Amino acid sequence: MQDFTLSQIITNLLLATRWTIALSAIAFIGGGIVGFIVMLMRISSNRLLRWPSMLYIELFEATPLIMQLFLVFFGISVVFGINLTTWTAAAISLTTYTSAFLADIWRGAVEAIPIGQWEASKALGFSYFRQLQKVILPQAVRASIPPTVGFAVQVIKGTSLASVIGFIELTRSASSISNVTFQPFLVYSMAAAIYFCLCFPLSLWSRRLESQFSYQ
Amino acid sequence: MLIFMSRFLAQKLNIRLPRAKALIAIALSSMLAFTVFACSNGSITAQDVSDGSANADTPAVATVSGTLNQVLDAGVIKIAVPQDSPPFGSVGTDGEPQGYDVEVAKLVAESLEVELELIPVTSTNRIPYLETGRVDLVISSLGATPERAKAIYFSSIPYAPFFSGVYGSASQSVSSYEDLAGKTVGVTQGALEDLELSDKAPESIEIKRFEDNSVTISALLSNQVELIATGNTIAGEVIKNNPDANIESKFVMKNSPCYIGVRRGDLDMLEWVNVFVRHKRFSGEFDTLSQEWFGQPLEVPGF
Repeated sequence: MQDFTLSQIITNLLLATRWTIALSAIAFIGGGIVGFIVMLMRISSNRLLRWPSMLYIELFEATPLIMQLFLVFFGISVVFGINLTTWTAAAISLTTYTSAFLADIWRGAVEAIPIGQWEASKALGFSYFRQLQKVILPQAVRASIPPTVGFAVQVIKGTSLASVIGFIELTRSASSISNVTFQPFLVYSMAAAIYFCLCFPLSLWSRRLESQFSYQ
Repeated sequence: MLIFMSRFLAQKLNIRLPRAKALIAIALSSMLAFTVFACSNGSITAQDVSDGSANADTPAVATVSGTLNQVLDAGVIKIAVPQDSPPFGSVGTDGEPQGYDVEVAKLVAESLEVELELIPVTSTNRIPYLETGRVDLVISSLGATPERAKAIYFSSIPYAPFFSGVYGSASQSVSSYEDLAGKTVGVTQGALEDLELSDKAPESIEIKRFEDNSVTISALLSNQVELIATGNTIAGEVIKNNPDANIESKFVMKNSPCYIGVRRGDLDMLEWVNVFVRHKRFSGEFDTLSQEWFGQPLEVPGF
């Protein structure tokens, strides 16, 4: 068995970090788009739109991400005989999972806007979507920044679950390396430091965003 | 900036409202249909998966009996190997898997004269990988049990040893549980060996329990205990890394050797794998690998 030098450990961890970043990006982009649509359905007054979105949110919030990954990757193979690639499976599960949470977070932000704002903008003759666009969403965005970023940080760390379908991302790589080097403390500390370097800037950015929106 | 983006998005949505609504409804209902369907099937247990695989109607399985031909035609074989259990399989400095199982996988590809594609797996997903056709073989320190045999085939003979045993320096003359009387034996708390030892060792034994494997090993090397009870792979590591300590295997406590996993129903492949394992054991190639990775001759139990 080869011995790892410190720089080799760091190199291997950083290489694995690429997957963590890629998976997080998929989760944010896919989850953001789908989550926005689901949120619109969730706040709709139309029952046919609202109920499916409620079911969607409850279903994906209430099941662990690791099960979703497993079911999408292996379950679809068994039930339909289609073998999804690891990327497709990860994209589907991370999108559904993230979108359910984001939809709920954003719904909360929208519903926190006083009803008077809706009524006032309606009185101005705005259509439903004009109300959302001009009055409600700009205010809701500010309220939703802290929980959204908080959840984003969770998602970055949650991507480690994708190792169940074969992604060698940061956590998986760290556990593999510590199994060879028998230096779990060193390896996991470095992995933790890398996670911190990924997540902390997000929190800083969120603080800046909040102050940018605060003048309104 | 963000306001602008959200406005833009809302505008887009506004323009395409009726169509968007319909699209969303369709997309969501199909998504829900799937999830409800998936959920109605419940969690995927080995039993569910095996039922699916055994069903010759599903495309993933229609090819089952032809895996060997398929591999030969494609010129590439996909083999699941471990990445978290040295010395069977661990990550190398280049990020590629390495270890005994990986070497066996290389031998398989060499014997079939095809390219090798290594798929690192965990103990959780190695059987689903095989059942869903994502790998052709599992060589991943897989022990054969009647439960697992309901889901996949195993090679009829093992290709690698895996057992718990008692280890100590060559100066200790111990060859059975009775000989342990009066000795101090180190064991990792709660491990399989702990249970076995507590169950079968004589009264006068002193068992020292340690937090994890590395501490147990340190205890042996620093002479805090005379012997340790542990897995052969861990002991192999210790033996290799500490040639001066002169540690050797005393006796085997419990055997659970490793078999090659073949997709259920895949008789052609199973037949080939059986010949392969037999041939490599007779030719001594597994023994060479065992010396290299376990630091001891191949000790696979026979019947």
